[in-house]
Amino acid sequence: MTSSRVRRWLLAIVLPIAAVGLWQAAGTDGSLAGGALPTPDRVWRAWVTWAFGHAGPMTLSPYVGTWAEAVGHSAERVAKGFAVAILLGVPLGVLIGWSRLVSAMVDPSIQWLRPVPITAWLPISLAIFGIRDFGAIFLITIGAFYPIVINTTQGARDVEKNWIRAALMMGAKPFDILRRVILPAALPSIFTGLRIGLGIGWTAVIVAEMVAVKSGLGYVLWDAYYVGRMDIVIADMVSIGLFGFLSDWAIVRLEMWALNWRRLQSFNQ
Amino acid sequence: MGTIQFSSVGKTYPGGVLALENVNFTVGEGEFVALLGPSGCGKSTLLNLIAGFERLSDGQMSFNGQGVTKPGPDRGVVFQEASLLPWLNVWENVVFGPKVQGMPRNIYEPRAQEILRVMGLEKFHKSLPVQLSGGMRQRVGIARALVMQPKALLMDEPFGALDAQTRLSMQELLLDIWQSLKTTVLFVTHDIDEAILLADRVCVMTARPGRITRDIRIDIPRPRSINTLTSGDFTTYKAMIMAEMRGLHPHH
Ligand SMILES: Nc1ncnc2c1ncn2[C@@H]1O[C@H](COP(=O)(O)OP(=O)(O)OP(=O)(O)O)[C@@H](O)[C@H]1O
Ligand SMILES: [Mg+2]
Repeated sequence: MTSSRVRRWLLAIVLPIAAVGLWQAAGTDGSLAGGALPTPDRVWRAWVTWAFGHAGPMTLSPYVGTWAEAVGHSAERVAKGFAVAILLGVPLGVLIGWSRLVSAMVDPSIQWLRPVPITAWLPISLAIFGIRDFGAIFLITIGAFYPIVINTTQGARDVEKNWIRAALMMGAKPFDILRRVILPAALPSIFTGLRIGLGIGWTAVIVAEMVAVKSGLGYVLWDAYYVGRMDIVIADMVSIGLFGFLSDWAIVRLEMWALNWRRLQSFNQ
Repeated sequence: MGTIQFSSVGKTYPGGVLALENVNFTVGEGEFVALLGPSGCGKSTLLNLIAGFERLSDGQMSFNGQGVTKPGPDRGVVFQEASLLPWLNVWENVVFGPKVQGMPRNIYEPRAQEILRVMGLEKFHKSLPVQLSGGMRQRVGIARALVMQPKALLMDEPFGALDAQTRLSMQELLLDIWQSLKTTVLFVTHDIDEAILLADRVCVMTARPGRITRDIRIDIPRPRSINTLTSGDFTTYKAMIMAEMRGLHPHH
């Protein structure tokens, strides 16, 4: 690691360490705010049990050794909902950006539906899918769809005219233009949409699991609150942040790989 | 094969800009014609019409006796900034045309290799456009047009963005290629030297609305090279065209 990278890491962890330190120091008897808020050491111990504890036959607490399962449920739902949102949003965005007819027909509907927040879709989702995985995936798809389709549309509209003309001149058919010119040209915008969409996907999964299913980090969050396990609530929140961050990082790496030509471009300019 | 014809062509852009009015001219088979004129006189418009990128507003035009409705690989276009697809490397840019046309690989691969060799790019197959100099990029732009074996090359100020030295070497390269291929070329430029050096005929255009005012045959023997630029004939033509252009712009 170069010294500048070490420096960046150090700078990045100053604030979290200070916050946790203050929080720990402010607590007495392992809690804060009249017992409502456990201190970091208690949260840490709760998390270790939640993650690595072995539940015997007599264990009553659901928070022993079930962390990976909760994370797995949430991550799987986000992945599924996000994948559906990509499969719908990217082709539709490319079409809207490319064709004035499709744009005139579809774009207004998208703009009307977009202001409806995912929380407002909850009742319909419950009515249709009941307390099942589909409901959560449906909400994630809706939440992630809008930023993906809107950014893809924008990218597809802004494609340089001469790239399309060059491709037409070389004998490209409309489908070649979509796939080989507009899609790659729109990729930078598409990735912007993916990053925003994935962030919304994590919000949506937590909301959905609090109401519409009985597993995952969102379900645990609400359940732990009901039984007064604020240490688990906080450990759960940290977990959400961590996995949201990791999945965003994965997208950024993918983007760097897919858009290598663009990185070279900005270095040269 | 490769003849271009404009008769009474007019072009009005949406918004009412009258870019061309009553343009008449022909480019014969295998002829190299330069369109010369000041900025905004409609040179690109004329080229974009025959390329099939823009629609006519008035008159008729034809390519090989057929009306033009859309772009196609029989008319290879070379753009001013090359306009390569930046996410494809040199090789991928050059074989893009043959590939989307469904040409068999064993036909286009040797052809593309040969053209890239002639262009001096054999060591750069894997380079991305952004990693190339302006002159190299434009050589790729020419290569991707030539690989389709077009009946005509339509070039819109292809060397306009290059420095003087690179521009000269590109002009020589184009002369060499044209000497061996004898494709019809319509070449847009606002550089008088370039027009005389390259073309069989120089068509001088005037602006607002764009029209062709003079059609000058350049009877300088071929093969030409940059030495042509200092010959007596060259100077005579240059004086004549400059007088023509000055006449069109009394205020300059
Ligand atoms: N898409 C367009 N919409 C409206 N007006 C246009 C459009 N394209 C060109 N024009 C106008 O038409 C006229 C001719 O433009 P054109 O690009 O053909 O000129 P040009 O001779 O190629 O100029 P230059 O040497 O600067 O490239 C100009 O007045 C220009 O503003
Ligand atoms: Mg122009």
